[in-house]
Amino acid sequence: MDIFSNLILGLSVAISPINLAYLFIGVMLGMFVGIIPGFGPAAGIAILLPITFGMDPTGAVIMLSAIYYGSMYGGTITSILLNTPGDSATVASTFDGYPLAQQGRAGPALVMQAVASFFGGTVGVILITVLAPLFAQVTRSFGPPEFFLLVMMGLMTLIVMIGGNWRYGAISALIGFALGTVGVDLETGQSRFTFQSAEMIGGIDFIPIAIGLFGLGELYYAFYNGLHLSGSGGIVQYQKEKRFWPELRDFVETKFSMLRGAVLGFCIGVIPGAGATIASLMSYSVEKSISKTPERFGKGAMEGLVGPEAANNAASSGAMVPLLSLGIPGSASTAVLLAAFLMWGLTPGPLLMAQKPEFAWGLIASMYLGNVALLGLNIFAIPLFVQMIKVPYRILGPAVILICTIGTYSVNGSIIETWLMFAAGLVGFFMKLYGYSPAALVLALVLGPLAEQSLRQTLTISRGSFGIFLERPTSLWILGVTAAVLAAGLLLRRGRREED
Amino acid sequence: MQTTNCPGGVSAGGAMRAGFILAILFFAAYYTYIAFAELNYLSSAGRLGPGFFPRIIGVSLVALCALSLYIDLKHLPAAEAVAPAWRSAAVLALLSGVFIALFEPLGGLASMIVFMAAALWILNPGRALQNALIAVLLPLGIYLVFQLWLNAAMPRGMFPLPF
Repeated sequence: MDIFSNLILGLSVAISPINLAYLFIGVMLGMFVGIIPGFGPAAGIAILLPITFGMDPTGAVIMLSAIYYGSMYGGTITSILLNTPGDSATVASTFDGYPLAQQGRAGPALVMQAVASFFGGTVGVILITVLAPLFAQVTRSFGPPEFFLLVMMGLMTLIVMIGGNWRYGAISALIGFALGTVGVDLETGQSRFTFQSAEMIGGIDFIPIAIGLFGLGELYYAFYNGLHLSGSGGIVQYQKEKRFWPELRDFVETKFSMLRGAVLGFCIGVIPGAGATIASLMSYSVEKSISKTPERFGKGAMEGLVGPEAANNAASSGAMVPLLSLGIPGSASTAVLLAAFLMWGLTPGPLLMAQKPEFAWGLIASMYLGNVALLGLNIFAIPLFVQMIKVPYRILGPAVILICTIGTYSVNGSIIETWLMFAAGLVGFFMKLYGYSPAALVLALVLGPLAEQSLRQTLTISRGSFGIFLERPTSLWILGVTAAVLAAGLLLRRGRREED
Repeated sequence: MQTTNCPGGVSAGGAMRAGFILAILFFAAYYTYIAFAELNYLSSAGRLGPGFFPRIIGVSLVALCALSLYIDLKHLPAAEAVAPAWRSAAVLALLSGVFIALFEPLGGLASMIVFMAAALWILNPGRALQNALIAVLLPLGIYLVFQLWLNAAMPRGMFPLPF
């Protein structure tokens, strides 16, 4: 089947009334998750995962994916109106978004960010449509050495790109690997680190850890920083502005910024471990460096808002390519999505598109519709989301704890897993406080079993020689790309240090 | 953020930072001990066994934690920033723990109402009516969604509800 017939098959799945309803609920929830400062898509998907339990797998994954890319849209509203990014991926949007709002151009800034997000998201989905099947075909020839290298590439990129202390990033990833080894060894049947507990034989469940680290941990950290005390007092009153809609020149001046942001964002998103935050910051740097008037940046340049917005939305689409075609998530958010896929009995990887075309293409088709819905929501439902921003954090916080606890308990009806979530919340708080990386921990926890299995298989094939990684052309390619990405990451860190 | 000054010594924040990595180091050491003591490097078939990967992870983790602890202790700031709102975070964490402890004995709905009432009484003082309404209506809404709509597992507690 060619791409168009696949897409039509996908659309026929996505436009069923029930899937459309799940899609719409997903983008609404995603927007809401996005506008809560400190909460990113990973937290949103993890916390809301239990509410999909009564659904069919395709509808559930459509809804969870909609939460994922919907949150990218939502985070910008607070960046523009409150100078507080909803998530790290929208930090770059504060640089020029908030100055625009202060100049009485909040309305045009909100509309332009919606258009740029739509453009970036849609370009991203078009590229997924074209590239994901190609990736899936290419990666069918991948063996254990390639899978092991891809896992390591994702983790190392994440550690280098996170910007903090690399040692803390590596420690976080190793803890994730260690937790991933708990349970029965699938090759020999021997129990590992179970301490004779029946609950531990199946391994450490991913959901309580993800909800604890990203839900409770982020929440405690937000309270620690006094977010519940600041409220929404500084919100820009965009309703008092004379002109809500952007002018024609706003579109004309930023059309190439959107395109550059979208393509750059997608390319960065495809690299495991890079992600939307890096994409938006790099897009901002590119726009500033090629502008004829770089002095306007930071003072309300529309290109400085539009480029990063297109980039972070395209990157979130790009991150779906390795997830769908390899089964390797490139970020914490897609790691949680992978866990959701597995929970529903869907194994992403090279064979997914061939074996479950209605699911894979239904998901891709739903992303086109989701971006259209988000464009409309972002322009016409802004008053609704502004009201949500005004809900004080001191009320929102305890409510989030309720949902985290009920959500975790409802998975298996286990109080031990609920305590595990609480413990992960405390650990997540200290990790955030001291600069460790909960994202690296979660990614390593999800990918740990694959890394171990592929390394053991690789060394069995090579009779214990690590030289196999240098003998296979595909492995050499992956090593080359990894080296290039790590070098770029190190240069980026150096640049950041010099700026500081 | 406020800064706590501890002339001539290590601040509470700095000690906690070192304590956190020390805790990870203990975890890593125990993990590595089990990997070496209880798990075989090779399986009975002569292939790489269940201890192979944990040994690599354990040794790497111990080495990295020890290195980090050494470097951190060397460069530990005499004064580390401590956020003024740390008490709110601690209270919220404590309340979360009490909530989970009461979750099964009291049942889902009752424990949620108790938790919300306590949390709002402390974090949102002076708004008794608003707090009371939120403390009852929000848990009720969540309970109805999870119990009736999603048919999710929910503890019934000592006083089971008729619905």
